[in-house]
Amino acid sequence: MNEENLNQDMSSEKKYWKSAEQLKENSPIVDALEQNEFVEHIPTDEFLGDKENLESSKTSRRDFLKYVGFSTAAASLAACEGPVIKSIPYVVQPERLVPGVSDYYATTIADGFDFGSLLVKTREGRPIKIESNKEATSMTAGKPRVHASVLSLYDINRLQNPMIDGKQSTWSAFNKEVKEKLDKTDKKIVLLTQTFASPSTDRLIQEFSEKFENVEHVVYDSVSETAVLDAFEQKYGIRALPNYDLSNAESIVGIGADFLGDWLGGGFDGAYSKSRVPQDGKMSKHFQFEANMTLSGANSDERFATKPSEQKHVLVEIYNQIVGRAASTNLSEKHQAAVKKAVKSLKKGGKNAVVLCGIDDVNAQLMALAINEALGSELTNLSNPRMIRQGDANKVSSLIKDMNSGHVGALLMCGVNPAYTLPNSDDFTTGLEKVNTVVDFALTMDETAKLSTYVGALPHYLESWGDVRLTYQDYSLVQPTIKPIFNTRNFQECLLDWTGNSKSYYDYIKSNFVESNEGVSWNATLHDGFYQSSDKFDTSDIDTSVAVSASKLLQSKAEGLELTLYTKSGLGDGQQANNPWLQEFPDPITRTSWDNYLTVSRSDADELGLTNDNVANGALNGSYANVTVGKTTLQNVPVYIQPGQAKGSVGLALGYGKKESIQEEMQVGVNAYPLYNNFNKVQEVKIEKASGTHEFACIQLHNTMMGRKDIIKETTLEIFNTKDKDYWNQTPQVSLDHQETPVDTPEVDLWNEFDRSIGHHFNLSIDLNACTGCGACVIACHSENNVPVVGKSEIRKSRDMHWLRIDRYYSSNETLAGDYDKKDNIKGLSSALSEFGELEKPSEENVEVVFQPVMCQHCNHAPCETVCPVAASAHGRQGQNHMTYNRCVGTRYCANNCPYKVRRFNWFRYNQNDEFDYHMNNDLGRMVLNPDVTVRARGVMEKCSMCIQMTQLTILEAKREGRPIKDGEFQTACSNACDNGAMVFGDINDKESVIAEKKEDDRTYYLLEYLGVKPNVFYHTKIRNTNEA
Amino acid sequence: MSHYEAPIRKPLVTGEKSYHDISVEIARPVEGKANKSWWIVFSISLIAFLWGLGCIVYTVSTGIGTWGLNKTIGWAWDITNFVWWVGIGHAGTLISAVLLLFRQKWRMAINRSAEAMTIFSVVQAGLFPIIHMGRPWLAYWVLPIPNPYGSLWVNFNSPLLWDVFAISTYLSVSLVFWRTGLLPDFAMLRDRAVKPFQKHIYGILSFGWSGRVKDWQRFEEVSLVLAGLATPLVLSVHTIVSFDFATSVIPGWHTTIFPPYFVAGAIFSGFAMVNTLLIIMRKVVSLEDYITVQHIELMNIVIMITGSIVGVAYITELFMAWYSGVEYEQYAFLNRATGPYAWAYWAMMTCNVFSPQFMWFPKLRRSIMFSFIISIVVNIGMWFERFVIIVTSLHRDFMPSAWTMFSPTFVDIGIYIGTIGFFFVLFLLYARTFPVIAQAEVKSIMKSSGEQYKKIREEQGDDAKLYKMPEQKPLPDFNKLIAEANSTDDTSDKNTKTD
Repeated sequence: MNEENLNQDMSSEKKYWKSAEQLKENSPIVDALEQNEFVEHIPTDEFLGDKENLESSKTSRRDFLKYVGFSTAAASLAACEGPVIKSIPYVVQPERLVPGVSDYYATTIADGFDFGSLLVKTREGRPIKIESNKEATSMTAGKPRVHASVLSLYDINRLQNPMIDGKQSTWSAFNKEVKEKLDKTDKKIVLLTQTFASPSTDRLIQEFSEKFENVEHVVYDSVSETAVLDAFEQKYGIRALPNYDLSNAESIVGIGADFLGDWLGGGFDGAYSKSRVPQDGKMSKHFQFEANMTLSGANSDERFATKPSEQKHVLVEIYNQIVGRAASTNLSEKHQAAVKKAVKSLKKGGKNAVVLCGIDDVNAQLMALAINEALGSELTNLSNPRMIRQGDANKVSSLIKDMNSGHVGALLMCGVNPAYTLPNSDDFTTGLEKVNTVVDFALTMDETAKLSTYVGALPHYLESWGDVRLTYQDYSLVQPTIKPIFNTRNFQECLLDWTGNSKSYYDYIKSNFVESNEGVSWNATLHDGFYQSSDKFDTSDIDTSVAVSASKLLQSKAEGLELTLYTKSGLGDGQQANNPWLQEFPDPITRTSWDNYLTVSRSDADELGLTNDNVANGALNGSYANVTVGKTTLQNVPVYIQPGQAKGSVGLALGYGKKESIQEEMQVGVNAYPLYNNFNKVQEVKIEKASGTHEFACIQLHNTMMGRKDIIKETTLEIFNTKDKDYWNQTPQVSLDHQETPVDTPEVDLWNEFDRSIGHHFNLSIDLNACTGCGACVIACHSENNVPVVGKSEIRKSRDMHWLRIDRYYSSNETLAGDYDKKDNIKGLSSALSEFGELEKPSEENVEVVFQPVMCQHCNHAPCETVCPVAASAHGRQGQNHMTYNRCVGTRYCANNCPYKVRRFNWFRYNQNDEFDYHMNNDLGRMVLNPDVTVRARGVMEKCSMCIQMTQLTILEAKREGRPIKDGEFQTACSNACDNGAMVFGDINDKESVIAEKKEDDRTYYLLEYLGVKPNVFYHTKIRNTNEA
Repeated sequence: MSHYEAPIRKPLVTGEKSYHDISVEIARPVEGKANKSWWIVFSISLIAFLWGLGCIVYTVSTGIGTWGLNKTIGWAWDITNFVWWVGIGHAGTLISAVLLLFRQKWRMAINRSAEAMTIFSVVQAGLFPIIHMGRPWLAYWVLPIPNPYGSLWVNFNSPLLWDVFAISTYLSVSLVFWRTGLLPDFAMLRDRAVKPFQKHIYGILSFGWSGRVKDWQRFEEVSLVLAGLATPLVLSVHTIVSFDFATSVIPGWHTTIFPPYFVAGAIFSGFAMVNTLLIIMRKVVSLEDYITVQHIELMNIVIMITGSIVGVAYITELFMAWYSGVEYEQYAFLNRATGPYAWAYWAMMTCNVFSPQFMWFPKLRRSIMFSFIISIVVNIGMWFERFVIIVTSLHRDFMPSAWTMFSPTFVDIGIYIGTIGFFFVLFLLYARTFPVIAQAEVKSIMKSSGEQYKKIREEQGDDAKLYKMPEQKPLPDFNKLIAEANSTDDTSDKNTKTD
């Protein structure tokens, strides 16, 4: 039957019948029933009419007491009330809001640190999830921090009202008083703001400056890119960041630039991953010279641990060999060879080669630009530079001087927290006392707000209007997805008020947009969330005369240890420190949560007597160190011994140690901003051991793969290109009748196959070449599936609840291939004893890193399913391994028997429990919960469900619309969050689908395939490009 | 039952005991007052029990998170304790059922207490599968009972479900067996009781035992049938417990050798526990004549043999790991012996494999003090065996990223100590209210194995009369009596003397 017929049949009029009797014509019973309730007459008169009988019957005393007793008991039982949960239904249901159906809005995050176009999923008017706006032309925002930002909306520590002198006030009073003060000021008025990158705000500030004379606007980025901005401005005449598109890259050389992290605002990883997947026998070659172990270094083909001072020499040497001799360098033999290789590769790559430099020095940045120019690199997208950093460190410094000398009459701040993020915050604080009027717009009563007379309560970006110019061409809109929860107002709205403009900010943005983009539909842009103008940045008049001084760059001699400050993929610059998802998010490299720490190389640690040890329950303890930069000393910084850390260098993350308006549980780590002198992330430090031990909360405690090839398969590009699949990706063999037989042969199987021919059969593909380990999927999964946050002490007990984890393994030899060889060559007991011991230790400086996302593998022959005594773990028709929470009695047998260790047990009640005082313990925080997913009870097992609520919705929608499901419609939270294309989800019964194609790929392998559990998740062999350029 | 017994066999009941002596001596602890040491031990046990109970209440009300478990190690002390207690229980059934079928007379002095130990330890064991659940209030869901949740049924593939059946069957059969054996002894207590309350209670407990031939005949039949029923249970229960591990995929658990290895281990630990208990009990309630050095020696021999079987099993595991060629299997055993929990492995090896080998020396296995020490050592070793199997296999299995360690909390320890306390509370109460030796059975072997009778046979040959006909009192001279009756009053004294 085709679908059209089916629909017609279904729409025909239906008759319902009550009994077979109705089918007969003129049935007396049917007639009788139409008149009476019963067919036969009920003889009530017989017993009610007999008065004598009624009178003679007696109710004895015993009967009476029985009745009284029963009715009292029944009445009191009925009086017992269950817990009352008050819910208010819509009295007047908003139009177009269907309960149970999600709405998506395109909007933009622009908090001064993170910028990107995104989609917000709302349910019943509540934003509950952030997704990346895949249609957007740039910066699709697939970062863990951005995904987690929805939870910051529901932060109970947010400011709920404007404050004057620390007391709650109203907006009218606030605006009136501030305006009065501004009018009276005869000294300078300074606006100290984050980078808004907002055309409307820029215009508004312009208008403000016109109205109040003597206005200065200082843009302050807490983590500064001043060197890059200055270099770009000098060379190209625009204060912007260079933009790179790495998707066609053939050769990438990173020098101290974590471009897969937050370098230049991040977001380069999607394109990078494209270049990393071998196609037609080609993939990019990536060299990384860096001091800290970063995501970029971890993903590179060849990583050279290089101290910051050496990085400068590396850069100059590359410049010497590509552009022309600038200065003589002093490099070790190892580094000379490395540079030679890198240069060879760059030259070969030519227009598809690029040097990415993260050295905070204008000369260095100019040299990097020059190298790329000399290479003719087309990966540098000069016509569309990034506008997302505008900060000027020098202006900030002079502002503080001005403040201290009493030249500033009014200071208006927005989106910045200098009292916390400035290295010289004490100077700022003392300067602030000399400023007559201090106004701060902030989300929380943070360090700076505490010191301000007037504090404007900012709305979260999900509650506000705005516009952002992400890059020169890309324009993006911010639209509210919820009515402001608190009495908050945008800085821009107040500016409008103070300048006497009666327009709302929304109208202002709209008219500004319409004026500057003629012929572009406002509604379409709002719907899409972005608009790309064709107006490219004109690169024709480049100033080629900019002098580069390599000798100046190489001037400074580093003595002692060199510190590189960095930001973590979790907390970033620390704005969202009160976000429990981000605190519990394990650092992709160290797999440590709830902390920042000094990363130290093993040999430096040994020299300084710093140690890392595991205690009885496996948890990691580390020494403390005092870190001194100049005159500033940070006391008791925890020490983490980091494989791959360049000898003579240390690393420390910014963004931690925040105290104000931060819940006590989340006041973790140390504030590293005081060490961020002159906004240079590289500093010379002195380190000495301090007393005491620090307790770390690591999600992964064992750091090497012990040479187990069944977990991560990898090979080199050369072998991949030249050898047969069986050579580099052989299916494991097992013994069947004393014959070596591939484990996927049906005869080997103990069990009968499920019949999968009908319906959908879901598979998830994970490409280890495309995965950079960024962790966006981890937060997306957290947010989609209401995964609880358990806190530092529980993580320390190895009780994290993440359904999806990204395992990170270090090689124990210099390469993973070396580990495999070492294990294969173990002969005899004594060799096993010593060599397995050695395989436990990660290599020190030269180390390879691999990432592997692991979630429930949804085995077709699942070991967990057979062992559950109550059948709470069962197999689904679509290939999922189901977990029935309400049937689970919690024996944990399934978790023990899971070879992948992906099952998570609810050790405690994690919601509405003061012991776990995170978002699930307050009404506001619980608003982020996904209503489609159960919040699990204490004592039950949980795990990845392959987002069954999402796949079922897709099926139902297609069914309702009477259409087949297109490939790509099926998604899981993780596959949807992955901008790198590492995770692909779909129905393998759809033979045309991408997933079906991926399953047949030569690189496909299954995790621990020899076990024969037949997972529905598969991986793609990691290919390393070891080719000499 | 006075079968012929070779004189070379050592007597099983020493001392010049009459049948009446046996009744008196076995009823003494029940009838007398508890001494000071009983009260001290009882108080300590009760405190431990209450502490454990508190820990259980805390666990159930707060969550399993109060234990030291984690995402990788889902079972540790809970299931270790479970298997340990079940294992201890095995000796009782083996002694009373298997040795009955083999007509081993030496069982009679120890079977009652060994069975009591079985039941009390199975009670402890049974606690753990319930309290280790995340939601113990739903524990009844593991029973295949019709329910209103539609077609929800238990999963018959799951070894945990088999455990439910195995343990409950075991407990019920053991209980019935024990109860039946107690009938004649309760009757003896009833008949001796002087206080009406005790008489009444023991009257109820003895089910109207009359001591008729028919009673004894049925008693013997039932005992035999129950022994037949219980014998396969000795093998099956621990076999099924071992399936919890053997049917899994975890290296170190997935081992076909487990059923015999677990059964041998269970008997090993059970006999050790019997030794521990009885060596104390024989001293405290003066039953040295019934539980003799001979008994202890025989038990030590069983301990030595089963200990050696367990040792062979350990070595076989290592061999199989190497021989299998499976890298995960090989690493699991390498890690056991040399990894972070090597101390537990070598504690197990020392206690279970090396220490029982001392029993090859007759002098040592006849030493009561030494036997006692070894019995404790063996039970420590057997606890470690289960800990090694469970924790060291789990803590480093397939995915190195999930490797971690286990460390118990005070609740883990509290519950374990609590079950030991509970066990001793039960056992001490038992020792004060139950006949701790199956006196009716012991009486039945007096003639064949009692020391005094063996002596008679030795002196007078096998055909010697083992009984004395009661001496006939010479009839009084009635004529004389009549004559004396007629004489003076003060002759009465003389009359008695002539008797």
